[in-house]
Amino acid sequence: MGNEASYPEEICSHFSSDEIKRLSKRFKKLDLDRSGSLSVEEFVSLPELHQNPLVQRVVDVFDTDGNGEVNFKEFILGTSQFSVRGDEEEKLRFAFSIYDIDKDGYISNGELFQVLKLMVGDNLEDWQLQQLVDKTIIVLDRDGDGKISFEEFSAVVRGLDVHKKLVVIV
Amino acid sequence: MEKGLSGLRGRDFELSDAFYFSKKGLEAIVEDEVTQRFSSEELVSWNLLTRTNMNFQYISLRLTAVWVLGVLVRYCVLLPLRVTLAFIGISLLVIGTTLVGQLPDSSLKNWLSELVHLTCCRICVRALSGTIHYHNKQYRPQKGGICVANHTSPIDVLILTTDGCYAMVGQVHGGLMGIIQRAMVKACPHVWFERSEMKDRHLVTKRLKEHIADKKKLPILIFPEGTCINNTSVMMFKKGSFEIGGTIHPVAIKYNPQFGDAFWNSSKYNMVSYLLRMMTSWAIVCDVWYMPPMTREEGEDAVRFANRVKSAIAVQGGLTELPWDGGLKRAKVKDTFKEEQQKNYSKMLVGNGSL
Repeated sequence: MGNEASYPEEICSHFSSDEIKRLSKRFKKLDLDRSGSLSVEEFVSLPELHQNPLVQRVVDVFDTDGNGEVNFKEFILGTSQFSVRGDEEEKLRFAFSIYDIDKDGYISNGELFQVLKLMVGDNLEDWQLQQLVDKTIIVLDRDGDGKISFEEFSAVVRGLDVHKKLVVIV
Repeated sequence: MEKGLSGLRGRDFELSDAFYFSKKGLEAIVEDEVTQRFSSEELVSWNLLTRTNMNFQYISLRLTAVWVLGVLVRYCVLLPLRVTLAFIGISLLVIGTTLVGQLPDSSLKNWLSELVHLTCCRICVRALSGTIHYHNKQYRPQKGGICVANHTSPIDVLILTTDGCYAMVGQVHGGLMGIIQRAMVKACPHVWFERSEMKDRHLVTKRLKEHIADKKKLPILIFPEGTCINNTSVMMFKKGSFEIGGTIHPVAIKYNPQFGDAFWNSSKYNMVSYLLRMMTSWAIVCDVWYMPPMTREEGEDAVRFANRVKSAIAVQGGLTELPWDGGLKRAKVKDTFKEEQQKNYSKMLVGNGSL
């Protein structure tokens, strides 16, 4: 895998073949140990990713088969969600998955807390974070089950033109 | 970060905050600002060199024929001429400086040493078919000062010494480099360090201070980035050179990539294959801008001064300015960067402290 000449055409993504070629080169460049898949260490070797507090979450969302590493197919499919040709629904799904750590379709209180903790580090007290989390859930949780479903999430986020924010040019 | 998160201070956390970090993350995954500086610049239009042909596609027979002709000219005509010239240049340098080194210290010796240096450097530059435009020659670095420039390859040294004499600073090498170094130091004082001495920053600073204190000594040439960058940007200037004191003479060097790629990717090519690549390019064309001297202002610390000089060089040379350390080519980035991001985000949430 990672062999440029044999990138499978059947990966269904939003990318043109030029973009896939570029991404394939990029994948090879990131794959420092040439294992055919990208580990978190390989991602984090990029200085700008090392300083990003959510890099672990992004890698987890890419890693659909849950083996801890991102192979080429997961890489293409993952980046495809940020393509300029992607639709709003899949971008919302991506954004939702950043929070939904156990991938059960709901953002629980604990999950929201964990993600927020990643973003603030040690700069806020746990009780302050918990306050923010509780406030957010109360506001968003319409059906009162104590967690945020995808529908409740989209209802709030949809109006923010998220599809414009989550776009990366390849 | 404030712009990306579109908020005012002290506003509550919103679910869309994670989008900012996700998007930044994806942007870095697709193409990041740092690692692209450690490999050669991609050209907009091909210059008939195989090495710059990143996306090979057969276009036409005529183009291939032209390319073959180019290869023949470069390898069979230009290369032998250049190698001969280089050989002559280096031999003359070693012989010349050894001879001059025999003389007792006097102004005649200095004058002869300059003559030898300049002549041999000019021959070596011709050996690379170098075409150099010097701008603002009135600001050429003076004796007793420190010359500071952006670093793309060892050829930078050659480019600068063709127009003036400098005292070099660097590690003692073995082999051909070592012979040249030992010969050069006989004719005029350079500051060569043993590898073990380089680690002792105070020793280095002391020796450099002593050198510039003597106003008759040649200006020191330093590359504060500490490593070769690909000439599209200027990376962090290490503050060591700016703590010595004295007048800093900034110099900006910009190569024209159409004629040949001057960047030395030391992890990919060793010195000999690099020189071979240089000698089989079309030419080395570059611009050198001498800039007005700068000194540390009252109350300015070395880091800020270094950044000020860096910005000036970047603006003059038309290069992007990056705060990242060139040492990231080989080393990992520190965790403090992530902690800084987290701190900035937390500040936004908390605002004036009332959470």
